[in-house]
Amino acid sequence: MNKFFDSFLNVSVPDPDDARRRRVLNILLLGTLLATVVGFVAIVVGSATSNELNLPETQILLGGTLVTTFGILGIYQINKRWSGRWAALLYLLLLTLIFTFTDSPDQLSNGRSLFIFTLPIAISSLILIPEASFLFATIGSGIVAWLALSIDQPVNFFAIIGFFMLALVSWLSARSLETALKELRAINTNLDQEVMDRTHALTASLDRERIEAGRNQAILNSIADGVIVFDKKWNATMANPAIKSMLDIPLELVINKNFRDLIEHPRLAAQSRGLLQAMIEHDTQPVGFRIGWGEKTLSVSAAQVYDNRKENNKNIGTVIVFRDFTREAEVEKLKSTFVAIVSHELRTPLNAILGYAEMFKEAVYGPMNEKQVNMAVRIMKNTQRLLGLINDLLDQAQMEAGKLTIHIAPLKPAELLESLHGLLDKTASDKRLRLTSEIDDDLPEILNGDSARLHQILVNLVTNAIKFTDQGEVRVKLLRSDDAKWGIEVEDTGQGIPEVDLPYIFDTFRQVEGATTRVHGGFGLGLSIVKQLVNLMSGDVKVESKINSGTKFTITLPLVIP
Amino acid sequence: MSELALIIEDDEDLASIFAEALRGIDYEVEHVADGKLAQERLKSGTAPFIILLDMHLPHISGGDLLTTIKQDERFENTIVIITTADARMGDMYRDQADFVMIKPISFVQLRDLTARLKPK
Repeated sequence: MNKFFDSFLNVSVPDPDDARRRRVLNILLLGTLLATVVGFVAIVVGSATSNELNLPETQILLGGTLVTTFGILGIYQINKRWSGRWAALLYLLLLTLIFTFTDSPDQLSNGRSLFIFTLPIAISSLILIPEASFLFATIGSGIVAWLALSIDQPVNFFAIIGFFMLALVSWLSARSLETALKELRAINTNLDQEVMDRTHALTASLDRERIEAGRNQAILNSIADGVIVFDKKWNATMANPAIKSMLDIPLELVINKNFRDLIEHPRLAAQSRGLLQAMIEHDTQPVGFRIGWGEKTLSVSAAQVYDNRKENNKNIGTVIVFRDFTREAEVEKLKSTFVAIVSHELRTPLNAILGYAEMFKEAVYGPMNEKQVNMAVRIMKNTQRLLGLINDLLDQAQMEAGKLTIHIAPLKPAELLESLHGLLDKTASDKRLRLTSEIDDDLPEILNGDSARLHQILVNLVTNAIKFTDQGEVRVKLLRSDDAKWGIEVEDTGQGIPEVDLPYIFDTFRQVEGATTRVHGGFGLGLSIVKQLVNLMSGDVKVESKINSGTKFTITLPLVIP
Repeated sequence: MSELALIIEDDEDLASIFAEALRGIDYEVEHVADGKLAQERLKSGTAPFIILLDMHLPHISGGDLLTTIKQDERFENTIVIITTADARMGDMYRDQADFVMIKPISFVQLRDLTARLKPK
């Protein structure tokens, strides 16, 4: 319905002001037409009932209304097709002309109908131009004056002043209205421009993001390692297709599942469960630990993800990468078995060499002179050293193969120190070093542990300390760290370890670089074995060192009293 | 009279060293290098005073021989010393043997131990 009226009322022109004026004019024309039609009907009905239809006045009135009707239609056409300005002017003139004959001259110039001339004044500034109000104030004043003079009455100057006052007000308000509208349009235009610019920028940035996200997804999809992204509550939010073949389970059984579901999965080897459990309970970020998954061995690495856009650098989840390690694990196992066999086979002949050398030393086949005995002792010492190295290799191989186990039983810490002294006192005194030891009063007399492995740890650390100390002492202390932990401290006054080397001293086959390697023998397995043994006992080993003043190893172990 | 020591050991050199250690302190030494032969030997003949028993042997393992020894009351008073390079194996049979010696076994160590065991 609105559209129907709009098609009559609206005039499509480029200038929005012109369009607005022409629409207002059309509305006025419509109103006027309706009034005229109603007037025509009223005259016909009224004069017909009072038999005045044939009177000349009635005829003139009816003629007037018809002329007005055609005038209005003509003006509508002009407004619609040609010029709003001319149409408005013609309409206002027509209106003024009609008003001039709507009442008696005295009522129009001085009476009840005087106000009627204010209408063209007010309307003209709206539909013609703002200044047009003055034109129609003048015309109205002229008509009022002429009518007054035609019936010999005084001209109503107050009315004329009123007309001009109204013209002034109309002019001012129409002008402000037009200015306000212009400004509004300018603001709108700016706003439109800004919205458009922003839309463009947003679209461009969304496009970029989509391309970026697509690229990231493509990278993730093409990685051969299985990747799962977990949120803070350990729910899987994302996974790449490689995880499917890695874990042999469909993607939908990974995404939206909790990490705990994975831990409880039947394919996960029982002994790997604890490792994964510890990871989520203690929020650790292990790198490259092995788990058994069905027939496979997988290497698992976890990294926490931080939102670095926010200042507080909040942890938003964890990315876990699974790598198929089956082949490598097999090779490692083969290697370890090989080393174990070789070590075992090496030990038997070495035992024979050792035994024969001892027989020389003990003069089993007749008296020996001092030099011969001395030589036998050297053979024995070197054989012992070789055996020590082979034992280290064997331990390392067993640990790598996961075969080395810890046997926990009640033990006396004091006995650990006794056997240490029994073994190494002579080695220390040969280098003119003091080997001292003490036990914390708080430490229980009996506690649970693997005495053989603790002995091995102590021997390794103290042998090392003696090896790298030229003067002073090697101090061993067994202490109670806190309610749940006990510890071993081995401190020397030796040459110390350079700070750059500290992070690597527990690595397998590593000795601090340089002359040291040549002066002191050994594979560099001792500290690596210490660390692995301590870890197997759920403990921790730390090192502090100062060049030329000494090194201190501190081992912390869980305290269990039998 | 010398006490009899039976050495069951497949490595000739080790057997020879053990034998020397024992002979040095007046043991009469008998050596068997194979599990099957050892089994045969245990069925008859004099019950040894000491048996040195290696765990890794051809044909019949030291563990099986140990079971045979423990089941035969002729060996009630025989001292069994397990000699092995495998510490875990040693742990496993510790309860059934009188002594466990982990290789490398020192000549002096074996000599001193067996000397102490000799009846005065």
